[in-house]
Formats: sequence, structure tokens, C-alpha cells
Amino acid sequence: MPDVNITVDGKKVAAPAGTLLIEACKNAGIEVPSFCYYPNLSLQGACRMCLVKVEKMPKLQTACTTVISEGMIVATNSDEIRQARKSMIEFLLGNHPLDCPVCDAGGECELQDMAFSYGAAESKYMEPKNHKEEQQWSPVVYFDRPRCILCYRCVRVCGEGMDVWALGVQNRGVSSIIAPNQDDHLECEECGMCIDICPVGALTSGAYRYKTRPWEMNHVGTTCTHCADGCKTTLGVRRADTGMEIVRGDNRDKSGINGDFLCIKGRYAFDFAHHKERLTQPLIRKDGRLTPSTWEEAFEVIGSRLTEVRDCDGGQAIGVLGSTRTTNEENYLLQKFARVVLQTNNIDHHRTADFPAFVSALTERPEAAASMRDVYNAPAILLIGNDPTEQHPLLAWQIRNNVRLHRARLYVINSQPIKLRRQATSFLQIPTGAEAQLSSFLAGQDSAIDALLSGPTSRDEWISLREKLRSEPGLVIIFGSEIRGSDVVSLVKSASGIHDVKFICLGDYANSRGAADMGVYPDLLPGYQRLADPGKFHEEWGGVPRAVGFTLPEMIESATAGKLKAWYVVGANPVGRLALDPFAFSQSFVVVQDMFLTETAVIADVVLPAANAYEKSGTFTNTCGDLQLVKKAGEVTGTKSDFEIIVRIAGSMGYDVRKLVPFGRGMTADMGQSRGAQSGEVDRHGVWLEASGLELKMSPFDPMAILDEIQRLLPGYAVSRMDLLAGNAQHTALPAGKAGALHDPKLIVPADNNLFSSGTLGRYSRTLNSVIENRHKKPEELEVAAD
Amino acid sequence: MPVLKNIAAIAKGMSITFMEMFQPTIVENYPDGPGPLKGAKFQARFRGTHVLQRDENGLEKCVACFLCAANCPSNCIYIEAAENTAEQRVSGAERYAKIYNIDYNRCIFCGYCVEACPTDAITHGHGFEVATFNVSGLIYRKEQMLAPMPAHMGANAVFNQDEIGAGAPAVAVQGS
Ligand code: SF4
Ligand code: SF4
Ligand code: SF4
Ligand code: SF4
Ligand code: SF4
Ligand code: FES
Repeated sequence: MPDVNITVDGKKVAAPAGTLLIEACKNAGIEVPSFCYYPNLSLQGACRMCLVKVEKMPKLQTACTTVISEGMIVATNSDEIRQARKSMIEFLLGNHPLDCPVCDAGGECELQDMAFSYGAAESKYMEPKNHKEEQQWSPVVYFDRPRCILCYRCVRVCGEGMDVWALGVQNRGVSSIIAPNQDDHLECEECGMCIDICPVGALTSGAYRYKTRPWEMNHVGTTCTHCADGCKTTLGVRRADTGMEIVRGDNRDKSGINGDFLCIKGRYAFDFAHHKERLTQPLIRKDGRLTPSTWEEAFEVIGSRLTEVRDCDGGQAIGVLGSTRTTNEENYLLQKFARVVLQTNNIDHHRTADFPAFVSALTERPEAAASMRDVYNAPAILLIGNDPTEQHPLLAWQIRNNVRLHRARLYVINSQPIKLRRQATSFLQIPTGAEAQLSSFLAGQDSAIDALLSGPTSRDEWISLREKLRSEPGLVIIFGSEIRGSDVVSLVKSASGIHDVKFICLGDYANSRGAADMGVYPDLLPGYQRLADPGKFHEEWGGVPRAVGFTLPEMIESATAGKLKAWYVVGANPVGRLALDPFAFSQSFVVVQDMFLTETAVIADVVLPAANAYEKSGTFTNTCGDLQLVKKAGEVTGTKSDFEIIVRIAGSMGYDVRKLVPFGRGMTADMGQSRGAQSGEVDRHGVWLEASGLELKMSPFDPMAILDEIQRLLPGYAVSRMDLLAGNAQHTALPAGKAGALHDPKLIVPADNNLFSSGTLGRYSRTLNSVIENRHKKPEELEVAAD
Repeated sequence: MPVLKNIAAIAKGMSITFMEMFQPTIVENYPDGPGPLKGAKFQARFRGTHVLQRDENGLEKCVACFLCAANCPSNCIYIEAAENTAEQRVSGAERYAKIYNIDYNRCIFCGYCVEACPTDAITHGHGFEVATFNVSGLIYRKEQMLAPMPAHMGANAVFNQDEIGAGAPAVAVQGS
């Protein structure tokens, strides 16, 4: 679009036609105050704070609703305008309690800022202010009505942004009030977007209210540990008796792939860290009972037992289970530890998506993996299976907003009437389990159509949909775990004619993709490199065991037969989550490292208290392959990161840790930053480093040293380290050439989490539990129609 | 006559000395003076150790807004906030200070915290005998700084026996 030229305060400004005056001013560095205007939400014109003078217009105009036009001459800072703004503030403060000292917004309140800039804090009213008690609308949403300035941002973000429409306006004029959808409480997705977007302290969060003040916290930008979308979240932390406590999560600086979006889990479900059942001491089974003990003793026991099993029965008698919530560095280190120290390829994890098949289907064009940003910008999207609203809230947000703001065409094919059908150009329902036939049909096999025809969609409609999809350049195809193995291959083939088509394969946990990328598979090395062709890993690690290892079911079988003598389970709960028979673990020596005494940990011989992803540093890869930094925010005394534990176990088995972690020779020297220099961890490490004859300042507990190795060996991960450290998401490329594999589709077990559950972790979150409890009491929820 | 000049100068000097000898003293006889203040005297505006005030209902005035800590130039105020509940109401507003420490190793008695306080909760008392042989004793806890309950609420003792056991001085802070 051609640029329009305007003059603002004597400054020449050019902006594309159709730009709002307020945005044009902002781009030129001129601030126009506003309350109700919010980028990407519909215009409201409610607060009249953005009044400016436009020449030749009789009255002051609202900059947030005025579209610029050629030759416009605008003044934003005359006496008249300042007086108008001051009067608006005076109106707003007419009934405002001004209890800033106890208000949660104090210090980051837009009204406070405005009152500071324009004065008018003294009220001319003689009447007492109208008071109304604070109301609790849900476990996480509280509303303090007198503080509300009726900007309607909350109403709009809940409706337009979230498509929940849970907030509305009651009454008219001066007696307008914001009201929840159920008389006195809310039934909604509990995302907290309304709280976050509220410019004042009217909506406050149950998790954070009255705990501290914004400037008293340290703020750490890291990545959410729940679903696989990888929202960037800024955690506010403060000191606590047991280390550092996380008190708030948000993303007000909009710096990540998620903008200011976070779902309930990213915003509130960090409270598992301080659950009273959190383990803070290693437990060793003595006389049949798990007994608290010291780290030294635990490492000694593990080291000697694992060495014994490896030397007597060989590496194939040890099974290793990795995690989908540990960092890339820890996953890489774990599989390297298994292959190099334990000399086994028996390593697997809870697979929730078929990434190896995805990679092998795309080896010809590795650039065709879409990023999370592509979902927001793509002209068309095809969604097969999954329910992103429940399982991938950020993905659903990106899709909704792409449809709403960019008029993208969305095609949804699902066996359930999922909520995203409301945004869809066309929604086609298929019988449960017919996804395989769907991908054959899309790939051109007309005979597969019969399996799809049970719904109201006719044969012709299916054929015309297929034609339409083939003429959608830039299509992004997103598929859930319903599509696996050879179906992935045929789906990819079906799209081969579409110009610039891209794909996303949906996994379920925060680092499901990372675990897959880092080679936590019995037959695949990092980068999905096949074991038969270990290439540079062979040289780099000084040998890789050749025999293909056991998958998890095979390990179980071998353990039940008494052949698997030891288990090493890192951050996983196979007994609880995959409903495996505990008997398979009862005859072997089992080491579990986890945060809680899970169903798997109670039958272990040694349990090590591990730190969670908010308590360590490293990187996560989201389901689209976007690499992001994980930074240490919280801390619970007594725990250790999985990284440190693995290195210490290797050390206690007599392995030279210099070979495991190539520290001190890559791009970084770890000066303790990554390990929480402020919390004395460095000193604690120092004792062991000194005793092991290692230099203090460059330590083998430095995840960045492993990242050096990962970036060196996996071309797809060779992204800019600078950008990564700056907190930006970096899209990784899929491996090209001979990589990936077609596995048995039965190995994939979807996590089936919904908006309020998050595997084992979710069970220990007070917020999530209280929301779930609250819902069970209520009758069936009614869906509100989209506008 | 330089000698006479010198003698005159000395005499002039000494005359001032002798004159002052018969003036009333303005130096305080602290700590050997009479009374509970041991002879110390000061102006009402003197800024001594802090007192955290209570309102007329005996509730703490401090609402843990952290403004004093934010304003403190020597960064010596440490606060942990908590929410009042129906069962346990400590302050008049929603929030109260669960922990309120002032580190007198660092406090420079500038009064900025008092200026910042929106609820007039923190004030300077007249306590000045803070010297100690143990620096950790210079970190005063909330219990050491809280004003006594108002007289009509029946409690005049500043500290109860448990608090004294936990390290609070047994004598009420002077001038509070
Ligand atoms: S909303 Fe803002 S102005 Fe109103 S009491 Fe809270 S901090 Fe103060
Ligand atoms: S929490 Fe989210 S879904 Fe609920 S009312 Fe607020 S914006 Fe709407
Ligand atoms: S509750 Fe907050 S966001 Fe909603 S209208 Fe009131 S001030 Fe605006
Ligand atoms: S959408 Fe996923 S990554 Fe984002 S906040 Fe929610 S659970 Fe975390
Ligand atoms: S003493 Fe006053 S300024 Fe300090 S936290 Fe309490 S209320 Fe706020
Ligand atoms: S920002 Fe323009 S009227 Fe509110």
C-alpha cells in the first residue's frame, strides 16, 4: 500500500494507508496515551484518553479510531489537549479508590502512570466513593469493581482473542459494570488473559495477589514447561525459605513467539515446585524401605551397582528411560551417557508423536517444517486430528488470530466437533480412527473415501475439498498423533504439488520434540541419524554400541523375563502414565530421578530429587522445531538438575567426565551464571570439582558446553547463539539425507492432556487442581456462539 | 614591646575560658545522668530507631506496600508480604508485612522511608542505643519495632515473654 504523509507535532510521518493515527504516532516515537486501545483488538473508543487535535476538524479527535489521511496535520501536546486528558483522568478517578499501596497493579498501573503525568488526583466530589467488595470469580480470577475504568479490554480479549466470550458488560452509561458469564462466577478457560490485559488492578490473579510488588521480584524470561508449544514466559521470583519461589508468570513484554498469550498452565501452574510432597533428599531402599540419605551415598550405590550390571551382564541388561520435560542438553547427555558409559542402546522415552516418520517423510525438503510464527501468517491452514484448544492452546491462539486478523482459510478435519471448527472455512467430520484413510485419500487414493463417508459430507464435497487444498499455496498442514508411520509419508506426499507447503507434527510435552531430536531412541542417534550409520558420532564419542536397543515395550518384556537387571529412569513416570505393570521394575535395580514420589519412584531402589525445568538452564525445542532458551528462575534447596546428576553418576562409575561433557573448550566458559551463582550452588559444586581435580571456573555441569557439541554435530541446530541467548525463538531445520525411521505406530501413546491437566506434573499444581475441582461442581458448560 | 603584647593576647584568650567556666553547661551528662534516659536529651524531631505504628484498633498500619524499601537509599529494609485472612487479621488492609526487618548496620536514619509511607506506619522513634558487639543483632525484626497496643486495648507491655526469649530487648524502646 502506498504511504500516506502526515505531520504530527511538526514532524513528518509516513505510514501505509489505513494505519490508525495512534499507531502512526507510536511508530514516529510520539506517545499518545490510551486505555481502551489495544493492538489487534477491535476498536472501542471508550476512554477518550487519546484525544488529539487534527487541523480543520472542529473538535478533538480520538487517535485510536481515526485513520490517517494525506496531508493531515496533528497536534498531540497542546494545552487544550493536556487539559482534556486531565479532565478524563479526573472522571476516571471520581470513584476510583486509589488504594495503590495495596493494589496489585501498583507500580505497573497505566492509570497510576497517567495520574502521575497529568495530575488530577484530587477529587472535586464531596460525596463518598461508591464501594463494592472484591469478588472472586474463579480460582484464578478476582474482580475489584471500583478499580475498573471500563476500557473493555478484558471483554474483547476474552471474546475476540480467546473465543470464550465469558465476560460482558451489564447496564449502560455510568452504571456499566463488567460481569462474568455465570451470575457471580466465571466458567471459562481460565487463561488469565483478561487479568494480564487489564490496565489497572481491577482484575487480579488468585495466584499472585497480595504476595509482593512488581519491582520486588526478579524477572526471568524462560520457556513454559507444560505443553509442546513453547510459550515464552517471564517468571517473577522472590526469595523463600527453601530457595527461590516463583510467584508470577506472564509475558507482558510480548517478546516470544506467543506475544502476550499464555494459557492457564503457563501463567499459573508453576506452583508444583513448592508442593509439600516435593522430594529434597535422595532416598535409598534399605531393608525394603526408602530411607532418606545423602547424595554421596546415593551416587556410590548407583555407581557401583550400574558398573556391576554393565560389567557382568553387559550393557543390554540396562534400560534407560528419558524424559519429555528435561532440556535438550540433558536428553543429549542422557543418551550419550547410555551409549558411551552404560554401553547400551536400550534407551527410549514416552513417545507422543511420530517425529522419526515425519523426518523420514521430509528428508527431501527439510525446509518444509513450519514454525509457530508461520501458523500466525500462513494464508491457509489444514488441521487434521488433535484438539488444539485443549492440547495446544498457543497453536489454537495463533490459528484463531490468523483467521481473525489475516482472514486465513482454515480447514478442519476431525473425528470430534472441536472448538476450532468455529473459525473454520470448512469443517469435515470423519469417523474415529479414519485418519489413516484420510491421508491415503488426500494422497490420491479414491478408494479410501468410503471410510470417510459416514458424516454429512458427500463424496463430491470430499473431492472438491481435495482440489481446493491442492490450490492453496503456502498451506500449513498440522496433524496430531492420529497420523503416524506410513500415514505421515502419504500425507506429505499428498501435498507434494502445493507450492510452499509446510507441515507441523504435534507432540504433547514441553520437550517431546527435543527428546526425539536428541536421539532418545533405541535405533536413532541425535538428529534422527540411524544407528547403522553412526558417522561422526562414532568418531566424536569414541565408539557407539552397534546393536539396536530395546524399545520401551521390549525393555518391559525383557525385565519381566528377568533379563533386564537395571533401570535408569530420568524424569518419567511410566508406571503411572503408561499404566505399565510395576512387576517389570520390581526385579531389577531401579534408579529414578524425579521431583515427586511417583508411582514409578515408589518401587525404585534409589530416588534422586531432581530440579524441574524452571530451576535450571538449557534449551527446549517446541513441537514445530523452534529452539528456545530455558533459564533458571526458581530453586528448591536439596535438589540437583538432571544434568548434574547424570554427570555425577558417570563420575561415580569411574568415567572421565571430560569426555562426557566437552567443557571449557567450546564457545563458553561457565562462570556459574547458568547454575545460579547467587544461591551458593557454585560453592557446593566447588567441593566436588576440587575433589575430582577439576578447575573450578569451567565445570562439567555447564549445559552450554553440551549445546556446543549439539550445534557442532547437528547441522539443523546450528542457529545463532546470540539470538538464542537474547531470548528469541530460533527455528531449527530438519536433518536431510538418510535420517528418521518408520516405527511401529503402537509405540506412540498420546498424553491426552487437556487445558487443565499436565501429566504427572499437573497433579501437583494447586491451581490446576482447584480449577478442576471447581468445574466438577458445576453443570455442563454451554458454548457461546461466536459473533 | 613584644612580651607585653603576648601576655595581653594570652590574658584575652584565658578571659574567654574563665568566662565560659561559669556559664551553665550544655553538654549532656549521658550516660551518668538521672532518669530513664540516663541524662540524654533531644529534640522531638530527632530520628532514632523506627517504630511501626498501630491504628486505633490495634491493627498494624503497615500494609506491606514496599514503598519504604523502594525509597531507602541504603537498601536496608526487607519485607515479606502476606494476605490477611478472616481468621488472622494483622493490618487494616488486604495485605500485611509478615516479615519486616531493618538492618541497622546500614540504616543512615535519613527518614526517607517515613516520607514514603502512605499509611504513616513507619516513623522514627527516639531510640538510639543500638550499639552491640554482634552485628546480626543489628537486624531488627518487626516485633522489635512494633508500637505497643493502644492503652484502651489493655496491653501495655511492648514485648511478651516469648518475644523476649526470641531476642527482643526486655526494655521498651525509649520514646516510642
Ligand atoms: S488500579 Fe492503579 S491507580 Fe487504581 S489503585 Fe490500583 S495501582 Fe492505584
Ligand atoms: S480467564 Fe481467559 S477465558 Fe476466562 S474470562 Fe478471562 S480471558 Fe476469558
Ligand atoms: S476489568 Fe480491567 S480490562 Fe476490564 S474493563 Fe475494567 S479496567 Fe478494563
Ligand atoms: S500453550 Fe502450552 S506452552 Fe503455552 S503457556 Fe500453555 S501450556 Fe505453556
Ligand atoms: S512501612 Fe509504610 S511504606 Fe513501608 S511497607 Fe509498610 S505501609 Fe508501605
Ligand atoms: S484509547 Fe482512544 S478512546 Fe480509548
